[in-house]
Amino acid sequence: MTLETTLQQINDLPLSAAIRENINAFPMLESLHVLAVAIVFGTILVVDLRLFGIASHRSSAQRLSAELLPYTWGAFVLAVITGVLMFITNPISYANNTEFLIKLILIAVAGLNMVWFHSTTYRRIAEWDEDMPPPTAARIAGAVSFVLWTAVIFLGRWIGFTLEFFFF
Amino acid sequence: MSIATFADGLYATSFSTALRETTWIIPDLQAVHILAISVVIGSALITELRFAGILATDRPAPDVLRRYLPWMRAALWVLLATGILLVIAEPQRTLGNVVFWLKMVLVAGASLVTIQARKGLLRSSAGTNEAAAHETSRGLAFIMLLVWCAVIFCGRFIAYT
Repeated sequence: MTLETTLQQINDLPLSAAIRENINAFPMLESLHVLAVAIVFGTILVVDLRLFGIASHRSSAQRLSAELLPYTWGAFVLAVITGVLMFITNPISYANNTEFLIKLILIAVAGLNMVWFHSTTYRRIAEWDEDMPPPTAARIAGAVSFVLWTAVIFLGRWIGFTLEFFFF
Repeated sequence: MSIATFADGLYATSFSTALRETTWIIPDLQAVHILAISVVIGSALITELRFAGILATDRPAPDVLRRYLPWMRAALWVLLATGILLVIAEPQRTLGNVVFWLKMVLVAGASLVTIQARKGLLRSSAGTNEAAAHETSRGLAFIMLLVWCAVIFCGRFIAYT
């Protein structure tokens, strides 16, 4: 089974057809996606800035991160669900869109940056929890995360202007 | 002069044409617009949930508001600037659209409540009137979050109406 036939099968799912045929479904999904992305980026930004050395509403970096993470993850799940539902309406076009592919890669890199940070510097957070400025590794992780998520938002908007529609 | 005539006149200006015909301008303006919306949503989420007594309840509400209000104000200016440029680029699509005007009313209302109506809270020093402020603003906090959500939906639906 090739990728092309899999994409075609996704395209032919009853759910894909239902979203395509409902005039309000796609804009609804887009709106929920923007809302989810805004919560993901908005809450990550507060943590990124704190890691970079810009004070938040509390001095403990660990408590700040623990406090906001449930909102970030909840919104991220909503962004993935709405993203998948938009993807299945036109999978071949998305799979052939450069901006879409780079966006997925950058989200994966942002995830790796988070895993790397949590398995190294974050393990010793008790030693620098209230330090300003935070250690260099934390500042780098915050800056890298900020740049990646900013790029993700730019690429996401560009998809809407570069997607070529293939109808089958 | 009607809105439609004004929109047509604006559309015909060389500035509007330049914005529209330079292919990278509109997508990048929209991306910056969404980044600024994220700053507003992130700040609003934290401050409104604090007012609702759900988040950061160990921190005084005025302190939390004081931390995020400047960011929110800056982001609202960025939204206004990018928004104006997007209207100039595509005046008929926006000025002649009822969803656009609904969005403007909601943004104006939410911004006014955020920046003006809560000035009193900022003046109160940490801890004072804490209980009273909490009681009176819980319902308002949820309404504000709903209004910001509605603003996002309106923003996206402008493209479809």
